[in-house]
Amino acid sequence: MKNLKVLTPWITLAARLLLGTVLLLAGYLKAKSPAEAQMAVRAYKLLPVGLANIFGLALPWFEIGAGILLIVGITVRYAAIFGGLSMLLFIGAISQAWARGLTIDCGCFGGGGQVAAGHTKYWQEILRDSGLALTAIFLIMKPQGKFALERTSAE
Amino acid sequence: MSDKKNPKKGSDNTTRNLAVGMILFVVLIGVIFSVVSNKSNSHVAIPTSVSAADGYGIVINKDAKTRVDIWEDFQCPHCREFEVVAGNYLNDLVRSGKVKAVYHPMTFIGPESILAAAAAACTADDGKFLDMHAALFNNQPATENSGKWTNMTLNLVAIGAGDTSKSISNCITSGKYLNWTKNVEADAAKQNVNSTPTLFINGKQLVQSHYLDLTALKADFAAAGVK
Repeated sequence: MKNLKVLTPWITLAARLLLGTVLLLAGYLKAKSPAEAQMAVRAYKLLPVGLANIFGLALPWFEIGAGILLIVGITVRYAAIFGGLSMLLFIGAISQAWARGLTIDCGCFGGGGQVAAGHTKYWQEILRDSGLALTAIFLIMKPQGKFALERTSAE
Repeated sequence: MSDKKNPKKGSDNTTRNLAVGMILFVVLIGVIFSVVSNKSNSHVAIPTSVSAADGYGIVINKDAKTRVDIWEDFQCPHCREFEVVAGNYLNDLVRSGKVKAVYHPMTFIGPESILAAAAAACTADDGKFLDMHAALFNNQPATENSGKWTNMTLNLVAIGAGDTSKSISNCITSGKYLNWTKNVEADAAKQNVNSTPTLFINGKQLVQSHYLDLTALKADFAAAGVK
């Protein structure tokens, strides 16, 4: 029990760095190729085209923001809520694409759009995002970790 | 928390809010920048065969009845495969004036796609677009954005494709049509083009399996009244 209490802030730190780095990297790679990011969102065929195009441009910057907050350790709980909800959204979007027989790349780290049948990686993508969603849930429960800029947050 | 810490907590909150505000500001600026810089701009230089009405695509045979829209990225490997299979057939259709061709050179793969599309637009002004189109796919680098395509090398490709006009070097090296490529990309986004190559024959999207199947492609054109 006592060991666990000592360990928890370190796990929080690791979780923050994992989720934060993934979000920052994913956001950076998409912000760098905006046309491709828009294409990736359109390919899910979930949103009307105009909305999908705006979403593709805006999402990467929110990922970058949340990623920075998690890495430096400010408002960890809120950033983790954003990260967790995004992962659930991505899992839902990928699942519906899979179920409807679309053949797309998730476009999570740049790229995206239609791919040849047999070149989809749906279950790997869902598995990865599920792991990240669990990481986010842990951070929502235990946001207080080592080496965070903000030390006075709730807990 | 002890009472002693309370004043410090207050100042920490201010610092925290400031930091959060700064990050939100960066996010907001990023979103605005992305939205503005990916918009179509009606004031940029466009090739003579291009109009906003045709989605900023390069138009050949503007009066032909059957219309084919072709969305490609010069760096896209599948577009190269398509060119190998159907390039000659399409070029013959266009050269013989049987179809109105609207070429939309997309640039989502990156900087060298932008350079290639802008260079191709320069050759369009000299009536050499089809030759440049074939030459670019023939010359496509094995890896994307490898550094092989620069204004200098693209100028040589254009000359090799038979564009001997005096203005071609200046057009390519000055980057005359670089900004036009954004208009093409913005229109592709509006038209919901999600992969390359994408063909529309009289506004109808080609079935996925017909791209690399010349017989099926010919049948599609025949159905649209092109023999």
